[in-house]
Amino acid sequence: MSALVKSLHPDEKITAGKLGSSMMKAGVGLAVVFLGLSLVLVLARGTAEAGHASKWARFFYAYVVGWCFIATIPIGMLWIILLHFLVRGRWVTVVRRICEAMTGSFLLVWIAGLVFVVPVVAGYQDLYYWATPDAHDAALNPVLQHKLGWLSPGFFFIRYIAYGAIYVGLSSYFAKKSREQDESGDPKITDHLRKVAGPGMIVYAFVTAFVGFDVLMSLAPKWYSTIFGVTFWGSGCVGAFSALALIVLWVQRSGRLVHSVTEEHYHDIGKWMFAFTFFWAYVQFSQFMLQWYGNMPDETIWYKYRMFGDWQWVSIAMLVGFWAFPFVFLMSRWTKRIVPSLVFFAVWQLVFHWLDLYWNAMPQFDWYQPGNGLNAGPLAGNLALHHVGFDPVDITVWIGLIGVLLAGIGGHLKGNLIPVKDPTLGLSLGHEQL
Amino acid sequence: MSTPKDNHDETSNGNGEASNGDGELYGVLAEFDTPGELVTAARKVKDAGYTEFDCFSPFPVHGIDPAMGVKRTILPLVIFGGGFTGALGGLALQWYCNAHAWTWNISGKPTWSIPANIPIAYECGILLAVLTSFFGMWAANKLPQVWHPFFRQERFGRVTDDSFFIGIHASDERFDHARTKKLLEDAGAIAIDDCHRENDPARKTMPKWITAFIIASTAFALIPFAIAAKARTSKSSEPHIHIFPDMDFQPKYKSDTAMDLFPDDRENRGDIEGTVARGWLEEDDLFYRGLVPGDNGTQWTTGFPATYPDGEKFAVDDKLLERGQKRFNIYCTPCHGYDGRGQGMVPTRAALNGPTWSVRNLVDPTSVVATMPNGQLFNTISNGFNTMLGYAAQIPHADRWAIVAYVRALQRAQNATAEDRPDQRTP
Repeated sequence: MSALVKSLHPDEKITAGKLGSSMMKAGVGLAVVFLGLSLVLVLARGTAEAGHASKWARFFYAYVVGWCFIATIPIGMLWIILLHFLVRGRWVTVVRRICEAMTGSFLLVWIAGLVFVVPVVAGYQDLYYWATPDAHDAALNPVLQHKLGWLSPGFFFIRYIAYGAIYVGLSSYFAKKSREQDESGDPKITDHLRKVAGPGMIVYAFVTAFVGFDVLMSLAPKWYSTIFGVTFWGSGCVGAFSALALIVLWVQRSGRLVHSVTEEHYHDIGKWMFAFTFFWAYVQFSQFMLQWYGNMPDETIWYKYRMFGDWQWVSIAMLVGFWAFPFVFLMSRWTKRIVPSLVFFAVWQLVFHWLDLYWNAMPQFDWYQPGNGLNAGPLAGNLALHHVGFDPVDITVWIGLIGVLLAGIGGHLKGNLIPVKDPTLGLSLGHEQL
Repeated sequence: MSTPKDNHDETSNGNGEASNGDGELYGVLAEFDTPGELVTAARKVKDAGYTEFDCFSPFPVHGIDPAMGVKRTILPLVIFGGGFTGALGGLALQWYCNAHAWTWNISGKPTWSIPANIPIAYECGILLAVLTSFFGMWAANKLPQVWHPFFRQERFGRVTDDSFFIGIHASDERFDHARTKKLLEDAGAIAIDDCHRENDPARKTMPKWITAFIIASTAFALIPFAIAAKARTSKSSEPHIHIFPDMDFQPKYKSDTAMDLFPDDRENRGDIEGTVARGWLEEDDLFYRGLVPGDNGTQWTTGFPATYPDGEKFAVDDKLLERGQKRFNIYCTPCHGYDGRGQGMVPTRAALNGPTWSVRNLVDPTSVVATMPNGQLFNTISNGFNTMLGYAAQIPHADRWAIVAYVRALQRAQNATAEDRPDQRTP
């Protein structure tokens, strides 16, 4: 194979300069304005929504959705860094510093998550049904009794901290070693990271699956799906690669990396967006197919909620918007190589990635209320509970948390924006699609 | 296939004259040293206006397609069409089989339901997409092609190893022998050969043995189909062909076959009259049939057997009731429901399909089951009642008694009053 090796363009601007701080300022501004607006909206609310004891319930549900959105983006980026080293990848090298900056947001994201984790530990019951006294009622929830050892507020908090520590440790280790190489140019660092990537990937897979189980799936504690961690990760990677495309374009618009990142690299980012779009649909269908066909009440009830009433329109929108439309149009080579079209799909998929998380979490808002055992809600055919019940707080919290994510990324967007002494840099610069 | 020396032109023939065995000029073949030079030369040939030329390389070369001016293949579109057709075909197949030609009611489930059909449609889509890409690639490359005039150049053999070639066909309208060769020389060719079509008629035709082999093997492959076709349309009085007669006709008798040794012409002899096989006597009327001596010979028992046939004491205890509950939940609940009220899944689903049959409510105090003696209940489980079939084949006797005990417990529990649970009574 004749691989093209190029060296850095002499006029290339590769230092971040004020790029990171301007992103950080924008992020902090977004976070302050929109999270503040959310607080105002909640405080202006007169009473709690029907079936909820606290008027903060909707805020916390929206916060979990928004937090999952900003958490999955560094999660997906950590995956591509690990994969890059694991398989001796080449093309990623030119954008890897940006991926590393994106995983740098882990710490701030995990701190932001304490907003919903700490209240749960402190005894707030209107978010996770398993934290309510009802959950401990063996007559009301016989099956749930076996899960309450795992789903207890204290253990939940410990796990949350452990997941964050592993993510922050793994991502900062790769970023630190990569920066060391900028100084020393030692190719052994690359060899070393290749060795770390293997075990790192295994740990990463478990942690990511369990973040999905604990934070999102446990909103419906009586329901279970072993593939849920995979659908959570697949949907997250769609969002992560979309975000990468947008940030790389933004960096280029500032006059940096203009010669290094070419349409060949955008093409590969687009390929991952396309691959995960289909992967998400594949695993979602695998989950749906088995539960629908198996027709076990504990499992199908989750889908019954999403297949009838208002939620069926959201489900259909997911099928068409998150899969069919991007699948057909991202299949072509040109929609991935022409940057405006790739940007369109990146924004589109980010919105639908959020909708996917919303669709996973929000039906439980009406379903799992204090006092509802198995006999209330959908099993009793209570269609009155099948409404989407959209709330402006859902959006304002989401945008505010995107601000948190941008602040976290901006804080790490500094120094060289390209690993200048990486042994694979030449191959990455000369990367061409056959 | 070896090439005789005298048929082969060793060196480039500067005047374009035909040597022995050479026919008309097919084209010129230029060799290049590196893939980079090949790409540069291909661009020059394209820029000179040639269209009928090709590049040959041991491996895919970056940038050769735009250099040659090759248009992007339409194969992806063809594959998409193939995949789409496959998916639709898979759906149509399932619709035809399940919902049209042979509808089959499986506990009231719909015969046509998209989610259940997606895996098959998906696999059919993949199958046809793969087949279209494989054979489409062949068709687009005009494969299979076993012979090409360039193969006559010995030099060309290195194209699978370390050499790079451009071949310009004489059929190109811009082809001019001298000018074309000049162009290739200027483009940096290290050797240029003329290439002629084969002129020797003996070598132009396919060897006879290959033709014979293809015809013979095709004919041979058709034999099974011919035999099958003949067998479908003709009658024969000849017996089957037996390849191993001593295996097909063994000197023994199989059950349920004819045998002229006995007056009834049957091989099966049955039980000898007046005998019972060891362990099959079942003489305990109470345990095996639920009967006790009564006014008119026998009557249904209202109690339970005192012992099992092996002499063990028959105790109506928790263990028996738990066993009864498990058996009841397995065998009886589909119709009678977990609470015995006759609301199981079968009547529930059947009701969706219109007129239905009613299942006996086992726990209704006014039902015949409430007053039925235990023995009769046992007999109903064994031999059935009205539309209910007997379960003697599935449930052993001891388990049938356990179910009887459990049904009694269920009747009691379903009609419980506050008196039954003094500990739960509100003061």
